Amino acid sequence: MTDATQLHALRGRRILIAKPGLDGHDVGAKVIALALRDAGAEVIYTGLRKSPEYIARVAVEEGVDAVGLSVLSGSHRELVADTVNYLRRAGATGVRVFVGGTIPAEDLEYLRSLGVRGIYTSAMPLDDVVASVAQALAEQTT
Amino acid sequence: MSSAPRSPLDRAALGRMLTRIANAGGRAALHELIEPPARGARRIGITGAPGTGKSTLMRCLAAASLAQGRRVGVVAVDPSSPYSHGAILGDRIRMGEVVGHPEFYFRSLASRSAHDGLADNLADILCAMEQHDFDELLVETVGVGQAELAVRALVDCVVLVLMPESGDQVQAMKAGVLEISDVFVVNKADLPGAGQIAAQVGDVVGLRRYEAGQWVPPVILASQHDAASHQAVAKAIEAYFAWRRNRNNETACRRARAAYHAQSLIHQRIEELLAELPSATFDLPLREVHRRLVTRLSADLDASIPPTQEAYVDVR
Ligand code: B12
Ligand SMILES: Nc1nc2c(ncn2[C@@H]2O[C@H](COP(=O)(O)OP(=O)(O)OP(=O)(O)O)[C@@H](O)[C@H]2O)c(=O)[nH]1
Ligand SMILES: [Mg+2]
Repeated sequence: MTDATQLHALRGRRILIAKPGLDGHDVGAKVIALALRDAGAEVIYTGLRKSPEYIARVAVEEGVDAVGLSVLSGSHRELVADTVNYLRRAGATGVRVFVGGTIPAEDLEYLRSLGVRGIYTSAMPLDDVVASVAQALAEQTT
Repeated sequence: MSSAPRSPLDRAALGRMLTRIANAGGRAALHELIEPPARGARRIGITGAPGTGKSTLMRCLAAASLAQGRRVGVVAVDPSSPYSHGAILGDRIRMGEVVGHPEFYFRSLASRSAHDGLADNLADILCAMEQHDFDELLVETVGVGQAELAVRALVDCVVLVLMPESGDQVQAMKAGVLEISDVFVVNKADLPGAGQIAAQVGDVVGLRRYEAGQWVPPVILASQHDAASHQAVAKAIEAYFAWRRNRNNETACRRARAAYHAQSLIHQRIEELLAELPSATFDLPLREVHRRLVTRLSADLDASIPPTQEAYVDVR
């Protein structure tokens, strides 16, 4: 995807970037927040160490289109499952979930089975990450 | 405070509703106007230059109101990039523990096409929130320069937050935001120079002429870790509302809101139409550009905006 099409790919989209659990690695979350903003998204960042319950509450309160979880602690299986559950309980219908961080290949299938729409590691170029998120959100509205 | 039973806050419904309203274009919004409920919330605007501590102060004010049993809603606006249209909505980070309170609701907004310190569709967003039984709504503006005075129309009480080293600002603001503010907070009083700013603002306030019974805005020194200073701000706001209750200026207030509401929708629509015009249009003489814009604007009317049902007396 060229820069020109990326520029407004996420215009008008509201995306919550959240760091569940206890790890303090926030560089990736911030890099992603800025990249999504530069593609036109309105990004809310929760800050570090938020519980899945808190993240779900913020997601419904802010009426977001998507929640992006950044996890580099190795606890992504539990944290993502919990967040998805709380989102459901909080009545967040139609909210897409994305996950990034240190996610080994063997966990991709499990995360997808939870309904996660896209899973990203630092191996993927940033532009491709943004394009993939934009595409998944575009599918939602059609 | 209010002991009457009310339905629990439906966060998911309100969250979805506000997203829908925020996404309405300047024309679509006219079809879905939100009626203000009979009993609105009291509305407090928090404004001031970037980084003066508006969000932090708002957290303290919200905590005080929640402790009194109020249902409190916050709307915080951050600027949209004019290039990418994206935004980082960062005010929520300052809310700390009040975010967990069952009677607290926080909404981040991007300014979108608004350039007045507020956000597109904010008038409707506030009315929609009022339908959820809030006692108090706090509105944080984009960090303002000097010209963004629109918040005055949408709220009852304007709190201007200053901080040390904004001395030049005080000079520049004399004719603008200083005149529309009801309470002045000189924040970060833990830093040197706060007293000086307070004195400067006090001078400006003191030089103005007040009629008998007019509200004289207080100047309050405050800082993050000084709970007593936040109580002083909360008390000043209470005093302002007590004064206001006896003023009977509801009609003027309602008219100002209606005027702002109309103006903001037209502004948004014009931004949309400007973006739709082929860029070569702007090579034409200005009068022609103007004519095309106005023609498109009135085409909206002919095409889709039904005349109101009731017969209105010509108000002239
Ligand atoms: C820098 C770093 C630190 C810094 C963190 C500074 C900070 N404020 O972030 C410091 C030195 C503090 C640190 C400390 C620790 N670290 Co460390 N750290 C790293 C390191 C080297 C790089 C992380 C990084 O910033 N990468 C750059 C960013 C841009 O990449 P990223 O986060 O992966 O994000 C990208 C993608 O994943 C994706 N993405 C990420 N999130 C999201 C979200 C969404 C929605 C989307 C769409 C995409 C997306 O997009 C980003 C851009 O490409 C990694 C090793 C590695 N290769 O990952 C270890 C690593 C993460 N750390 C590790 C560990 C164990 C620790 C410590 C526990 C102790 C230790 N052994 O050092 C402490 C704990 C700190 C804490 N409080 O949690 C382990 C984690 C093991 C695991 N996952 O099972 C790693 C993997 C190293 C290793 N191989 O052992 N660490
Ligand atoms: N020293 C000092 N710092 C403060 C005080 N209040 C807030 N701050 C700091 O000032 C910075 C900005 O605070 P915010 O509350 O985000 O300010 P804001 O006006 O909402 O900022 P914008 O929304 O970006 O315009 C933060 O780093 C706060 O910790 C205070 O009383 N004293
Ligand atoms: Mg703020």
